[in-house]
Amino acid sequence: MTLSDLDLGAVQLPPEATRLRQEVRDFLAAERAAGTVLGRPDSWLTGWDPAFTRRLARRGWIGMTLPRAYGGGGRSNLERYVVIEELLAAGAPVSAHWVADRQAGPTILRHGTEAQRNHFLPRIAAGACFFSIGMSEQDSGSDLASVRTRAERTANGWRLTGTKMWTGGAHVNDHAIVLARTDESEDRHAGLSQFIVDLRDPHVRVEPIRLLSGEHTFNYCHLEGVELTDEALLGRPGDGWRQVTGELALERSGPERFLSTLPLLSALVGQLQRTGACSPEQQARVGRLTARLASIRQLSLGVAAALAAGRPADVQAALVKDLGTRFEGELVNEVREILPIAARFDATRGSYPELLATAILHAPGYTLRGGTNEILRGIITRGLELSR
Amino acid sequence: MSIEPCAESVAEPLSEPLSERAVDALPPLDTAPTALVALAREAGYRSTPAPLAETLLVARPLLAAAGLAVPDGQLTVAAGPLDVRFTHVDTDSRVGPSGAAGTDDALRVSGTLHRVPWARAAEAAVVLTEGPGGGPVLFLLEATEWRQVAGTNLAGEPRDDLVLLDVAVPAERVRRIPAALVREATWRSGLARAALIAGAARRCVELTVDHTSSRVQFGRPLSHFQAVKQEEAKLVEEAALVAAAVEAAASALSEPDSAEFTAWLAAAQAAASVAEITRIAHQLHGAIGFTELSPLRLATTRMWSWRDEDSGERAWQQRIGRHVLDGGSGGLWQQVTGG
Repeated sequence: MTLSDLDLGAVQLPPEATRLRQEVRDFLAAERAAGTVLGRPDSWLTGWDPAFTRRLARRGWIGMTLPRAYGGGGRSNLERYVVIEELLAAGAPVSAHWVADRQAGPTILRHGTEAQRNHFLPRIAAGACFFSIGMSEQDSGSDLASVRTRAERTANGWRLTGTKMWTGGAHVNDHAIVLARTDESEDRHAGLSQFIVDLRDPHVRVEPIRLLSGEHTFNYCHLEGVELTDEALLGRPGDGWRQVTGELALERSGPERFLSTLPLLSALVGQLQRTGACSPEQQARVGRLTARLASIRQLSLGVAAALAAGRPADVQAALVKDLGTRFEGELVNEVREILPIAARFDATRGSYPELLATAILHAPGYTLRGGTNEILRGIITRGLELSR
Repeated sequence: MSIEPCAESVAEPLSEPLSERAVDALPPLDTAPTALVALAREAGYRSTPAPLAETLLVARPLLAAAGLAVPDGQLTVAAGPLDVRFTHVDTDSRVGPSGAAGTDDALRVSGTLHRVPWARAAEAAVVLTEGPGGGPVLFLLEATEWRQVAGTNLAGEPRDDLVLLDVAVPAERVRRIPAALVREATWRSGLARAALIAGAARRCVELTVDHTSSRVQFGRPLSHFQAVKQEEAKLVEEAALVAAAVEAAASALSEPDSAEFTAWLAAAQAAASVAEITRIAHQLHGAIGFTELSPLRLATTRMWSWRDEDSGERAWQQRIGRHVLDGGSGGLWQQVTGG
């Protein structure tokens, strides 16, 4: 990588993306009219609505980039980008299928067996099969290679033992892709493998971890001797690290890394428009946020285009995630200054004070999830060193 | 503060004489807009001592849009109230008060244009002002027609006042222009300044990475300290953000519907990022960056000036904010996504 590689250039969305964007907006307008819960911050984490997911699937907006042969849409990454940025900007309830669509589908396509692809991908694209991420553990957060969950060889396959932590949606989803140690090795990055685990297995015990707001999205996921056949192995034994790091660029640079709190800003704009006269100070602050949002989006689009073209963009993805998630938090602080109204979690759902409360209570998570920002900055500076 | 001759500042690999590259050899008029923005970024990177960004991104396109011939050489741009009269008043005209119409567009102009970039290095200046009949006019002033009062910005770049004493501007150098072209002059200036800032930001990143990887304290390079890495990453990010905003505006130059708003965004973001970029670059440079021993100042002092010029950070933000707030519900996101 060189410094020039950080300059991703402008991305021109293809003309079909403009039509697609309008279709999504029309769909969202109809959903809004029908009273679907929209306009919420952090909706990709907490907006769990399988019925909404199925309506999206009927439009072909889940598993869009998966090949048609597996029930996918056969569309480009940039087209998917347009759809998900519209959904996130609208604060639509997309958390049910979020991991399946963003991560599990592409990972199974890339590393799965033909049988796994045929089984899972059509279900993912139909909005009928939801996934959790089984990576983090109590002592393995940013340092993922230290995972202790073990998969031991049995006569018929593998036996999985350990406890995953921060497993979002494990209590409502169908499967998790679990990273486990299959081999003790000198090299910590070797000897890891990924497994597709049925979360309804009797030897899987899900225990809630409530957020500081009292909301339930996270869990412990206790794997108490889960018996797996070889069919459950995803990719090759020992390739887990490489497979997981391949997922990370997908996980880090998407629009959910800068749009989580946009619905709050949109609510603020609506509130200011209703009250009429805005001070020059309020205008300038809204303008400052808008410019930053638009600029981060350009960078994020640049990463999406680079990934779509098969260029490595790990460093750029880390850069977008740090900028974007810091922005998500800054936005909340700015909004409080622009329109100082006390946040109230118990105010009417969807009202400005309630949205503000939700965004504030979720704020600690923005710069933690998907790789703590301090660690991501290390990826950026390592990229600089390699460029010299 | 003296004007920095650029050659003094430019270390390897920038040793190519600037006079041959950027100043004398201006690109042809039909150069692609994105290439012009790239040249302006390079001028910012190199602290080029000439009004290159003004010439390429503002003066030439305005002259072309107004239907005036584009002279050779470096040009500058100035706007402001002046005392403007028709040279040949149409005494038969019954339109407006006496002197409100001329038999042709020839003008006599007096007044002062303030803080004009690089006026002393320019062959001519594109001037926008209110015409004698009301409504904006654009005219071309030649360097011999103004008297110059030297001034400089924080970086020592020329920001000269032009004093006009009853200057006769022939009709062939005057055009009445639509208000949209006055707006275009503003957003083009903002984009030019943003492109310069993007280039200088890049220079800040390079100089800082050079410094932190070569300067050794406590037995290891500064870049090996976690605290330094954290700040350096943020510096890289902020510079990349400005570059992305400027590239988006560059590619929007060929799209009439989105060029103006995208230029505002670039101007606002570039100006807003100056504080963070210059703060980190200086902090990581330590004492030497604060002195003339380091070329860092060539980038940072320019950035501190550029963010305030061509209307300034606050004004760009207000324009964007007003536009968004006037845009109806969903307006913000629609503006950001271009419709």
